Amino acid sequence: MIRFLRRGWNRLAGSIRGPRADADLAAEFDSHIEMLTEDNVRRGLCFEEARRQARLTFGNIESGKESYRDQRGWRALETVLQDLRHGVRGMRRNPGFTAVAMLSLGIGIGACTAIFSVVNAVILRPMAYDQPDRIFAVREVIPQVAGNQSIPANPLHAREWREHCPSLAEVGLMRWAGALLTGGGEPEMVRGLQVTHNVFRLFGVRPILGRTFLPEEEQEGRHRVVILSETVWRRRFNADPAIVGKRIVLNDENYDVAGIVPGSFQLPYAGDMEPTAPNVHFEAFRPLVVNKGQLRPMGNFNYSAVVRLKPGATERQAAAEMNTVQARFPPQAGEKVDLKVAMIPIQELVVGRSRLGLWMLLAAVGAVLLIVCVNLANLVLSRIASRERESAIRKALGASRARLFGQSLIESMLVAASGGALGIAGAGWILNVLTGMATLDIPRLAEVRLDPAVLAFSVLVTTLTGLLVGTLPAWRVSRHNPQEALRAGSHTVAGARGGLRVREALIGIEVGLSAALLILAGLLTLSLTRLLGVEKGFDTEQIVTARIALTGKLYADAPNRDRFFGRLRARLETIPGFRAAGLVTHLPSRGATWIDPIYLEGDTRPVLERPLVNNRYASPGYFASMGIAIRQGRDFAEQDRQPAGVSKGVAILSEKAAGLLWPGARNLVGRRFVGEDDAPKTVVAIVADVRASLHEAAPPTVYYPYWQRTPSSVSVVLRTAGGPRPSASALRAAIRAEDAQVPVMEIQTMDEVIGESVAQRRFQLTLVLVFAGAAVVVAGIGIYGVVSYAVARRRNELGVRMALGAQPGKLLRLVIRQAMTPVAIGLAGGVCGALLLARVIRGLLFGIQPLDPLTIVAVVGIVLAVGALSCVFPARRAATMNVIDALRFE
Amino acid sequence: MSTKADVWQGTLALMVLKTLHSMGPQHGYGIARRIESTSEKLLSINHGTLYPVLLKLEQEGAIVSEWGLSDNNRRAKFYRITKSGQKQLAKEVSQWTQANEIVARFLALKGGKA
Repeated sequence: MIRFLRRGWNRLAGSIRGPRADADLAAEFDSHIEMLTEDNVRRGLCFEEARRQARLTFGNIESGKESYRDQRGWRALETVLQDLRHGVRGMRRNPGFTAVAMLSLGIGIGACTAIFSVVNAVILRPMAYDQPDRIFAVREVIPQVAGNQSIPANPLHAREWREHCPSLAEVGLMRWAGALLTGGGEPEMVRGLQVTHNVFRLFGVRPILGRTFLPEEEQEGRHRVVILSETVWRRRFNADPAIVGKRIVLNDENYDVAGIVPGSFQLPYAGDMEPTAPNVHFEAFRPLVVNKGQLRPMGNFNYSAVVRLKPGATERQAAAEMNTVQARFPPQAGEKVDLKVAMIPIQELVVGRSRLGLWMLLAAVGAVLLIVCVNLANLVLSRIASRERESAIRKALGASRARLFGQSLIESMLVAASGGALGIAGAGWILNVLTGMATLDIPRLAEVRLDPAVLAFSVLVTTLTGLLVGTLPAWRVSRHNPQEALRAGSHTVAGARGGLRVREALIGIEVGLSAALLILAGLLTLSLTRLLGVEKGFDTEQIVTARIALTGKLYADAPNRDRFFGRLRARLETIPGFRAAGLVTHLPSRGATWIDPIYLEGDTRPVLERPLVNNRYASPGYFASMGIAIRQGRDFAEQDRQPAGVSKGVAILSEKAAGLLWPGARNLVGRRFVGEDDAPKTVVAIVADVRASLHEAAPPTVYYPYWQRTPSSVSVVLRTAGGPRPSASALRAAIRAEDAQVPVMEIQTMDEVIGESVAQRRFQLTLVLVFAGAAVVVAGIGIYGVVSYAVARRRNELGVRMALGAQPGKLLRLVIRQAMTPVAIGLAGGVCGALLLARVIRGLLFGIQPLDPLTIVAVVGIVLAVGALSCVFPARRAATMNVIDALRFE
Repeated sequence: MSTKADVWQGTLALMVLKTLHSMGPQHGYGIARRIESTSEKLLSINHGTLYPVLLKLEQEGAIVSEWGLSDNNRRAKFYRITKSGQKQLAKEVSQWTQANEIVARFLALKGGKA
């Protein structure tokens, strides 16, 4: 073994030391022959004869040297080095081709690398938790209420799972709880969670300073401790290492800082209606205190539950154990419904909604790269046609088929490698742009980087690209028959019919892929247009919104909040260009939430069988400012308050909500029902249905006057006649003027709110459009190249036809018909492929079928037009050429 | 062809090692002559074919080479067997002898049915 290794090493060294060793060898051979000659002379031969004999005995010196060299180094390696040098020279000789090839491959590989690094970071790389495959979010399923849709967890249930499920190592609970940081600079609202003490251990995160929570800190009175994220610690506390144990002011109360957790730590939150984690970085964690009153067997489904499985336990075991526990709860509340759990792997919770879109993008960019490769292969094929004599001569001189194949392949690999290097460098830049897009709602985007896995992927892609581009031409080069090529002057044989076949097949592939991409782009475009054009039920123009939170001691009293809102509303009316203003707890298009049952007085059904509606608390003026049509009745008014400022019991129903209580009835104003607070309400108006998210039907909604609950956090909606920018600053100024300590979050126009909700779709669409556009252009160039080549090759034949009286128009048609055949075949294949693919991406579409005929017809039209345009110029050249020239052409 | 047997590479390497082992450092020409004389001219080699074998042995570390002066004051490259070469030689000799014995026994079998 050692002997083998040593020989290998010495041969490697020998490959590199070539020239010097050659001189040494020559000297050794000379000395050998001299000695042989001398001995022969001594035996009595004359010098001439002695020398002749010596040469005979020694054998052929050159072939001796040759086999010596073979032994000295690795023949294959030397060949490769030689071919590489040859290849580099070739690239320098054709700067135009080299630039085009490198650039197109660079862009293709770069885009592929960039998209793959996103896919890798978001989908493939495991989450940065300790053994993430054991962590699951647990949500609850009540088929009779919400069908298959899961809802957030109930704290009592979570407590029972912890006690009765042996498969679970930990059960953690979280609840969204923003925190207003005051003291030292502007008041700032940070995103925060209340968590059980074991959540940090559950995820396997260690604080970089201080400690995590203690079990007893979940008790009222001991809960005034906070753990901060490194991000807010650096931003607001200058990374002060002495902060642990210090007191800071949160929501106007004193909290002791217990510890700092790494800024990279992201807690996934599963407490929303949608079974996906919002893409939010939480920065303040406080202990979760659950009072006795919040422990109800069937209610308060408001928490995000996470569990960690014990080693060896399976998801199925855990689910079975939890479901056994679940079965006890409905009877305790007198309900006759089923209650199950849904376990969602933590990675799925975070990235699930992005997966399909990202894979689609990777497939699309892969298709573009494939088209680029095919096009380059075509280009290389035409280049080798012109170098046919060269390879024929080399073959005649004894170059082996393998050698010619290898050399041609190495040339392509070189081009691919330089393109790949360019692409990887470019990918870094693309990624910077991507991750810098603040509105891009892709989870884990901060984790995207060019890591070894991505680099390995790029190297693999580059190699495949080189093989793809190079194999076909290399095969053709090695298959040339040298006799024919040498005998037949130049061009005539250069592209035997078989060559053209191959190239037409390549065109077919290009066209097919482009058509598929175009269809994809078309479907996504239509989806977004339909989504934005959907009947939303509200306006978006000239509306500015701001989210404010009233926290702290002053606003702990509802009357103080009420007074603030009242003064703010009055102040807004003085803004120039004022049309309408209002307050609401939850803006449209921000999702369905706050769901509670309503019912008619005397309804004896169990609570969970009563109709569920979204609750909103709104002020007078909200409907006017948001442009929500009032179908019957009137807006809320100040006289709806009772003298004490308490609600008199009025409500406004959306049409769907009204339909749930009184199907088919008209004249609903004045009717009574029981609202979310189990108190009777009188209907004062029926309003239009409003979408809670653009892609879902409007949910039934009930509006109560805001003073019924006097929320601490509302969105202010302002509609003016002026532009959005001045309105936004006027809105901010108005809030400041009322109370400068009130934090203003997210001042946005309603258009921006909508834009944000479709950002991911728009991102996908933009990329796919770019990819499809690039694909069509590249395919067009490919068609042009092949048709030009075919025309040049047939010049003689076309000349003969012309001389025999063929009309130019007929020749034109002849050429175009032949050129369009592969286009048509490719197009048909591409459309079929896209139709299959469209089913897979059904989840990304909105409002159209995967088989949208309009899209298909449009794409067929575009591709045919591009094809025709690409071949009409070379075809015209054929039809208008000079007969004499054509015939003389040889 | 002549009665002189062609020499195949593996055996040539063995002969080279044996020659260097018994004669001490030698140049290529000396080795070639020694092989010819030992085989009493039954064996003839193209001297040129010796050199790839020498190189291979050198790459394996069985021999080392050095430029020096021959008996009649001519510059020549001298090859010397190394310790690892000695070991290799011993191993190959025993293998060769064994193979030889087996073949000899085989050929010594009487013809016809047993």
